[in-house]
Amino acid sequence: MDIIVLVKQVPNTTDVKLDEKTGSLIREGLESILNPDDRHALEAAVQLKEATKGHVTVVSMGPPQAIEVLTEAIGMGVDQGILLSDTAFAGADTWATSSTLGKAIQQIGKFDLIICGRQAIDGDTAQIGPQVADYLHVPQVTYVAEIDNIDEKSVIVKRRLEDGYEMVESELPALLTVISEINKPRYPDVGKMIAACHEDASIKTWNAADIGVTVHEVGLAGSLTHVIKTYVPKFKRQGEIIEGDTKAVVRELIQKLGRSEGSTACKAVAAACRLEAS
Amino acid sequence: MIRANAEELIRKSIARFVDREIIPRAQEIDNKKEFPIEILKQIAEMGVFGIRYPKEKGGAGGNTTLYCIICEELARGLMSVAAITAMQCLMGTNFLFHFGTDQMRQTYFYPAMRGEKFSCFCLTEPEAGSDLGAVSTSAKKTEDGYMVNGLKTWVTNGPIADFFTVLCQTNPAKKFRGLNFFFIPRDTPGVSVSQPFETLGTVTTKMSEVAFSNVHIPEDYRLGQEGQGLDNLMTILAEIRSMTAALAIGLQRAALADSIRYAQEREAFGRPIGKYQLIQAKVANMATQLEASRLMTYRATRMIDQGIPCMTEASMAKYFATEAACTAADECTRIFGAYGYSMEYNAQRYYRDSRFLLNGGGTHEILQTNIARWAGL
Ligand SMILES: Cc1cc2nc3c(=O)[nH]c(=O)nc-3n(C[C@H](O)[C@H](O)[C@H](O)COP(=O)(O)OP(=O)(O)OC[C@H]3O[C@@H](n4cnc5c(N)ncnc54)[C@H](O)[C@@H]3O)c2cc1C
Ligand SMILES: Cc1cc2nc3c(=O)[nH]c(=O)nc-3n(C[C@H](O)[C@H](O)[C@H](O)COP(=O)(O)OP(=O)(O)OC[C@H]3O[C@@H](n4cnc5c(N)ncnc54)[C@H](O)[C@@H]3O)c2cc1C
Repeated sequence: MDIIVLVKQVPNTTDVKLDEKTGSLIREGLESILNPDDRHALEAAVQLKEATKGHVTVVSMGPPQAIEVLTEAIGMGVDQGILLSDTAFAGADTWATSSTLGKAIQQIGKFDLIICGRQAIDGDTAQIGPQVADYLHVPQVTYVAEIDNIDEKSVIVKRRLEDGYEMVESELPALLTVISEINKPRYPDVGKMIAACHEDASIKTWNAADIGVTVHEVGLAGSLTHVIKTYVPKFKRQGEIIEGDTKAVVRELIQKLGRSEGSTACKAVAAACRLEAS
Repeated sequence: MIRANAEELIRKSIARFVDREIIPRAQEIDNKKEFPIEILKQIAEMGVFGIRYPKEKGGAGGNTTLYCIICEELARGLMSVAAITAMQCLMGTNFLFHFGTDQMRQTYFYPAMRGEKFSCFCLTEPEAGSDLGAVSTSAKKTEDGYMVNGLKTWVTNGPIADFFTVLCQTNPAKKFRGLNFFFIPRDTPGVSVSQPFETLGTVTTKMSEVAFSNVHIPEDYRLGQEGQGLDNLMTILAEIRSMTAALAIGLQRAALADSIRYAQEREAFGRPIGKYQLIQAKVANMATQLEASRLMTYRATRMIDQGIPCMTEASMAKYFATEAACTAADECTRIFGAYGYSMEYNAQRYYRDSRFLLNGGGTHEILQTNIARWAGL
């Protein structure tokens, strides 16, 4: 079984801060890590490899330092890595990211399964997996919490819904995006990482020419969307939840509304509450 | 060709393990006073025990710098886990690796790398600590091997070890030239191990006495050429000292981080205590000594990795970094006020564990004596 895992290097924070002037992410002082969901994607792939004597390739598009997450992936038991790095790839929107990843996968050739994380903690769109599947015309199953069964032709997975799970069968090749409950990722093996730091064999670097694209098709130039402005929403008013015994809650609510300046709506609510209370 | 930096990557990876698997449970593990086998199994699974040994011979293909980086990160989490790991990577397995037969490596070395067997290192005796010339455990030549008799003490891992590397005297007339290392499996008839000692710090690392009474071992259990015991010890002494310095750096980092956090949170006289200059001075001194410890220690490890003799540098690093760790732990308990005296906070553990670092690899009185001599006195 040939498995491809897509991973992203992200800043180690869920509290993404934006530079108000440039609209770009403030990365200074933040260490870079393997996107948390992607660690689960790698573990799922390595477990399948161990069970089926398969082969796992990990791919990441990013700046040269993204080599780190690929080396970590090798430490977890992945067979080879491909770093897609080229200044032409910079500034990609999710479409350009997905199509570049898709091109690279076509370049790799044969695959039975692609596994992605559900979502990256910085960009946060959860679009890449689905878009790559669409680009390659393969079925996709998102929010995978368990791989129940897999053979050469199909895969059955448990998929997380808002209030439960569903079992889905898909033919192969397919793309899965996984969530953290799927497994407990192993820690990388230090020996495998050291070897990958010293030899060229396990991780290759590909640029735009290597995957057969022109610079106009990728990165900022190849992006279909353009961000006009980025800003952090300002929360002027904050909701408040009053809990406890109904009567006490209503009394407190009336008090609070009474104290506020009181729009017509507020007054109406207060009146309604008073009625209810009496 | 783009490549990751092995030192940064290994540090980050072990740090992540320490932050997630050790630090949240460090107090609980320490309170239980039990050998932390679960954590050690995880460490073995990451291939850490083989960090100093070549890949083609069952190791991880690292070097002394990487070994010390790992020791430092683990010590930031829990000193006893770091100490057991340090022993398993270096003193406990080194001579078996270099001088053991293939069969001994199969039966003991590879399982030790996988965390299935544990090792230890027996130099100290009740009457021989700093003065190794006084070692009296004897290994008498027999027709087909040696007969070992004597008592070792302060054997780290003694209570749980599966095999021992034991310094013995084969010919008292030759003094230092009569010292040799021997490999002795625990299940050899005549080997007995005492109850674990009650200790001040590193309470999950078990230490004990190990007694040898008419223990008969084959000839090839002598590790190294006849009479080379002390020379062989010298080949790893700078590394032992650098490793101890790295453990001390880990402890300094933990004490400093806790001190800063507490100084920001705790208020007295209406302000966080970190706003007072006397507290700032403590933090400034800790941070400065930490930085100096790092520079000294990793200078020594890089010299070891390049094959440059560095006994002076490594001894100075061990002496300086350990004193700094003792000071940092002391200052940390002061910054914590009464809570530094409470068993609920880590500060007390840093204070107790810092004492662990003082003796191994040479006491500071011995190191100072040597350093003064090397300085020309
Ligand atoms: C400052 C900034 C500016 C941006 N500008 C634009 C813009 O102008 N237009 C626009 O549409 N988007 C823009 N983006 C979003 C950017 O394109 C996305 O970060 C990127 O496409 C990946 O999407 P995501 O982070 O939401 O990943 P998700 O879709 O949340 O990631 C899901 C999974 O896809 C895989 N994956 C994601 N990225 C990669 C990768 N690089 N290599 C390999 N696998 C990957 C991983 O498995 C991951 O778990 C911007 C983002 C930032 C932070
Ligand atoms: C936690 C711990 C773990 C240990 N683990 C091991 C182990 O795994 N294997 C092992 O073999 N040993 C181990 N030891 C023992 C350690 O190596 C010895 O404690 C050390 O060698 C010092 O020996 P000693 O305790 O007998 O002190 P002594 O040599 O009796 O020294 C007592 C005091 O006198 C000072 N002193 C001695 N000689 C001189 C001198 N010439 N000039 C000035 N001052 C001097 C010393 O510095 C010390 O302050 C361990 C000890 C501890 C505390």
